[in-house]
Amino acid sequence: MDPLLLGALVGVITIVVLFSGISVAIGLLFVSASFLIAFDGLRSLELIPEVLFGKLDSFALLSIPMFIIMGASIASTRAGADLYEALERWLTRVPGGLVISNLGACALFAAMSGSSPATCAAIGKMGIPEMRKRGYPEGIATGSIAAGGTLGILIPPSITMIVYGIATETSIGRLFLAGVIPGLLLVGLFMAWSIYATWASGERAAMARITYSWRERFEIMPRVLPFLAIIVGVLYAMYGGIATPSETAAVGALLCLIVAMIIYKLLKPSALWSVLRDSTKESVMILFIIAAAGVFSYMLSSLFITQSIAAWISELEVNRWVLMGAVNVFLIVAGFFLPPVAVILMKAPILLPVITGAGFDPIWFAVVLTINMEIGLISPPVGLNLYVINGIAPDISLRTILLGSLPFVACMLIAIVLLCLFPGLATWLPNLVMGPAL
Amino acid sequence: METTTPAPRVAPRSFQRAVNWISEVSGWLASTMILGAVLLTCQMIFVRYVLNASTAWQTEVVIYLMIGGTLVGLAFVQKHKGHVNVDLLPLSLGPKAARVLALLTQSIAVLVIGVCLVHGFEFWHLAQSRGWTSDTVTAVPLGIPYLALPVGLGLMLLQLIADLLDTLQGIQASEVD
Repeated sequence: MDPLLLGALVGVITIVVLFSGISVAIGLLFVSASFLIAFDGLRSLELIPEVLFGKLDSFALLSIPMFIIMGASIASTRAGADLYEALERWLTRVPGGLVISNLGACALFAAMSGSSPATCAAIGKMGIPEMRKRGYPEGIATGSIAAGGTLGILIPPSITMIVYGIATETSIGRLFLAGVIPGLLLVGLFMAWSIYATWASGERAAMARITYSWRERFEIMPRVLPFLAIIVGVLYAMYGGIATPSETAAVGALLCLIVAMIIYKLLKPSALWSVLRDSTKESVMILFIIAAAGVFSYMLSSLFITQSIAAWISELEVNRWVLMGAVNVFLIVAGFFLPPVAVILMKAPILLPVITGAGFDPIWFAVVLTINMEIGLISPPVGLNLYVINGIAPDISLRTILLGSLPFVACMLIAIVLLCLFPGLATWLPNLVMGPAL
Repeated sequence: METTTPAPRVAPRSFQRAVNWISEVSGWLASTMILGAVLLTCQMIFVRYVLNASTAWQTEVVIYLMIGGTLVGLAFVQKHKGHVNVDLLPLSLGPKAARVLALLTQSIAVLVIGVCLVHGFEFWHLAQSRGWTSDTVTAVPLGIPYLALPVGLGLMLLQLIADLLDTLQGIQASEVD
């Protein structure tokens, strides 16, 4: 069978299998095993456990459970609430008021916890009722938190970026840095829209400023600084070339656990166990998908599908921006249905040769891909953040939350266009810190 | 997965209860391994950067702890429905059709993990009987880390079978009603 036709068949069958409700990892294993049996015979299955094990046999992967433990220990504490309060007290002079400090808190907390739903839950629980009390329109109050939560996969340290780095063999350090400016750009766009929409809705009183004394501003800092210091320390150690991401993340994980225990009095064994249990659940889930996706891409390349698709697209000789547009549409659609990690693991090995062949920078592409995944997090049918918000504010309809989130999706699309026009937004900082890419 | 109230003619669920307990224990084990990996990495960094000594075996052992934690943790995550899935199709079906689909996908999962278990066991057995070692200075006998394959996949298979039985008994119960 022609490898291209076979590729299309694999694509369709994979989609059907994954939509059936089977877990993503087992679905990928099933599709891989079926095609391997059909084309290479039963004996080809013998290699599956070896590929599974081999895919996990990497020191770089260790950074995933480490960063997850870091995030989970932060998320288990009152850090979200503290951060929220601190920003509220410090940012009162900035126009726009509460929604600005909410978005800032989302960005910081998302960076620290690395988890979208955890950010929505932690900041949203405080922020949404407070914003409604002050008269912000419901759509803005919920949409800003839903969108703010997605920043966690872009702003370093980001699990999504680590997975991309591992799947495409690109530098995780560079990827982290590449996410910084686009992350800030998105925060800026989100803030601009929130201020404008609140102003346009006529609820201008909502943005009135409440002033806090310097004493109130400083007394909250001791509860916020330790975690921030750890994150900054971890990133500094990474970029200073002192240690690899996995090593620094392990130290960060231990420090975050210790801070959670000492400052936030997380001393009960049951509380510690719940942090470890949650981290284990998430790490195992992601690592199993990584291993299964390894088998999937082994199947794709042993049936020559990966190679043929790359060759076919380069023969098409389409304009590279048409190609990038098509890739973006493809990614957004995939992101609507699948979790970011699954999309990256399944698509990156196929798309990367195509993208680099067309002269695009793989680090830059990681940022574009991640923003596409962020869109998926706040779009139906699987938009995780929408449901988390719905859980926090059950009296606001899902429809209002969704409509409130749509303008933020537009902000993300604008960010993608800006990144296409000015690729330096993503590549400048990594090149500055780590020297030009080879 | 739906939880249904047990109906009179449904078989006792002692098997499922036992498996759930085993999966919970495997969760402890997996968490311990991952925590062990954190601590060992920190120890390695301490030795290397503070004591300025060289480290030999730690990197490899840390990786094996992580892989062990992942494989042994599979059943635990399965028990807590933590393996991410996309349930577009089941949600668009009626309750009866959704149950049949669940039966189908769960049977496929049992089959897939069963096949992986068989070959995982063979792979481990090969490494064990031929005395394979890793090609590093430490020369770890690979029979030890590879053991995580049959153990982890075996525990996962048990949990998947228990889930399948739950679904089957749920269907029986709804027919009794």
